[in-house]
Amino acid sequence: MSNSAAAALEQPQKAVSNGILGMLFLLTTEAMLFAGFISSLIVNRATDTIWPPPGQPRLPVEATFVNTLILLASGVIYAVYARKYKSSGGDKSTIKFLLAALLLGIVFVSVQGYEWMRLLGFGLTTKSNLYGAYFYMIIGAHALHVAVGITLLSYLAVFIKKGQTFGRACDKITITGMYWYFVVAIWPLLYYLVYIL
Amino acid sequence: MITGLFMALVGGFLAYVFRYNLAFPGESIPLFGQLSAGQYNQFITNHGLIMVFWVGMPLLVGAFGNFLIPIMIGADDMAFPKLNMLSYWFFLTSAIVLMISFFVPGGAFAGGWTMYPPLSVNGYTDPSPSFLSAIFYGSSLMIIAVALEFTAILMGGINYLVTTINKRAPGMTPFRIPLAVWYIDIATVIFMFSVGPLVAGAFMLLFDITLGSGFYDPARGGDPVLFQHLFWFFGHPEVYVLLLPTLGVLGEIIPVFSRKPLFGYKPLIVLSLISAVLSVVVWAHHQFIAGIDPRMATFFSVATILISIPFSGIFLSLMATLWGGKIKITVPMSWALGMIGLFLVGGFTGLFLGSNAFDIYAHDTYFIVAHFHYTLFPSVFFGFFAAFYYWFPKFTGKELNKALGYIHFWLTFIFFNGVFFVLFFNGLGGQHRRIYNYEMFSNVAIEPYITFEKIATISAICLILSQVIFLWNFIVSWAAGRKAEKNPWQANTLEWVADSPPPHGNFHTAPKVYRGAYEYSVPKASEDFLPQNLQAD
Repeated sequence: MSNSAAAALEQPQKAVSNGILGMLFLLTTEAMLFAGFISSLIVNRATDTIWPPPGQPRLPVEATFVNTLILLASGVIYAVYARKYKSSGGDKSTIKFLLAALLLGIVFVSVQGYEWMRLLGFGLTTKSNLYGAYFYMIIGAHALHVAVGITLLSYLAVFIKKGQTFGRACDKITITGMYWYFVVAIWPLLYYLVYIL
Repeated sequence: MITGLFMALVGGFLAYVFRYNLAFPGESIPLFGQLSAGQYNQFITNHGLIMVFWVGMPLLVGAFGNFLIPIMIGADDMAFPKLNMLSYWFFLTSAIVLMISFFVPGGAFAGGWTMYPPLSVNGYTDPSPSFLSAIFYGSSLMIIAVALEFTAILMGGINYLVTTINKRAPGMTPFRIPLAVWYIDIATVIFMFSVGPLVAGAFMLLFDITLGSGFYDPARGGDPVLFQHLFWFFGHPEVYVLLLPTLGVLGEIIPVFSRKPLFGYKPLIVLSLISAVLSVVVWAHHQFIAGIDPRMATFFSVATILISIPFSGIFLSLMATLWGGKIKITVPMSWALGMIGLFLVGGFTGLFLGSNAFDIYAHDTYFIVAHFHYTLFPSVFFGFFAAFYYWFPKFTGKELNKALGYIHFWLTFIFFNGVFFVLFFNGLGGQHRRIYNYEMFSNVAIEPYITFEKIATISAICLILSQVIFLWNFIVSWAAGRKAEKNPWQANTLEWVADSPPPHGNFHTAPKVYRGAYEYSVPKASEDFLPQNLQAD
């Protein structure tokens, strides 16, 4: 039996595509990873009376607030892109929304990098104390996820540019979107826990 | 699978070396030479790490998962074949990284497989390779190896779940999926749910080692017990990750050789789901003496004893399957029954340990060592061998030598008990594990414990030697065995419909499924089994 015939037999059972399911399971694991980081932070903080420890450089709360808005905007623009692409039946001109989301992601991570350099200059390192260590670890883990997200978005842009069938493109957009929404959505929580609380 | 078996040999060799040292302290060990105290610590640590992460997980979850899941649900291949390959290469890399760690300055990690700080962190502040200090290179490499291995298993796990959900043959409804597939998938879910916090904890450990942070250093506001929580949040579910696939395999083998439907198929699935939920709320029973709040200890005591209820249910169902069946003793069936018998000993001693009053006395003694070997050895090795002897004809299209199979089973069974049964007494007598040389502790280096140590060691050597029979049988049968029939055990599940060995794509025509997997001895049927793909007449 040929491959396509075998595929046709299986088709009726497929409610959700392989990629979407796979991404869903991956994100569950990722969520647990961040849960691990967050609960460690909370446990260690609970035993400290003064937080942040005195004599430490202040984290850039305001600048990062603006940066938070940038990342959220990126997420929203991506959502707009996904809608427009799907409702227009694969209109290629919508790609400017995707590029905008990508650009904002890059801006976000660059600003973060700049702030890191400044903080390192002020003498906040992983060695100085737990405050610094948690900051670099949690924010660093998130920054890595943003970097992966940017790679995925760029890959998607190339993929769409090359011209793919509408169905496959929609699938890819949804899968990339799931990852990007996760990265965007977890950020305000981390911002609140690490910068403000 | 071959990589997993090779790692099992490495792990076994390490065990041989340190057991020899315990029985005959200070003597030169055949094939190895003098064992120093530092090496002793490295060896027990890596024995644990290898056996759990590089043998237990890849053999059952990895090898059999990849082979069985697609073929048992009637799919041509996994959902993401490339991801599968990638997962294998990650796994191989992780094994190599761990092996390298034996040869870096200071040697491999030596702070126990649980990697508790401060032993796992000290290397940073004290880089000199002293008696107990974990060493910078060794522990960093070990953490990297573990992280790679988890990435590999995670990729495999995503693949299993997606394959089971999306690639089932027509008619393979959720409640017609064979138990082995269900259990491997549930084990995967447990793994994926619990691994995140451990990776977070390991990251923090790596930060402490390499970047000099103080997450686990109380002098700098950190908390060493935090790591224990993160570790055991994964570490305890992990034992169910190792156990469930084996129970699934038993769920296939026992009905086939009892010629009877599996007793309580749906309850078995529900019970395993209950145990999956409970498995993530029992972790702190490893920390009863770590100074946790007594109220917390009581909670975890209760949860631990609760979780034995679903597992008792699973075991009773498997035994009830035997009840009144036409039992055929075959090689895989012997392993399956052996697994049930031995696991029972492990499970019963677990009940004692679950209550924190007893655990405080038995903690870190050989009683614990015997207990977890009685649970892990049957679930990893007996389960693996049962599955191996059962599916070997399908894997390779060849038959294994039966007589050698029985000899292998009985020798393994006898010598396994020889190693670990005596250790229960040593543990109750107060012998502490992880001691390099008992001659230094005169109050426990007395008869009968010295003799018991010797019995255990000689049995361990024989146990390892018995595996030569298995390797011989494996290689010779594969190369020159008799050709196996398509369905030598007359089983119902879909893998027996395919050729042996299955061709690329598994089936010539995509199978359709008409019934559950356990229709044995159905009244009025012409044979005593009804394969899942056979249309009713």
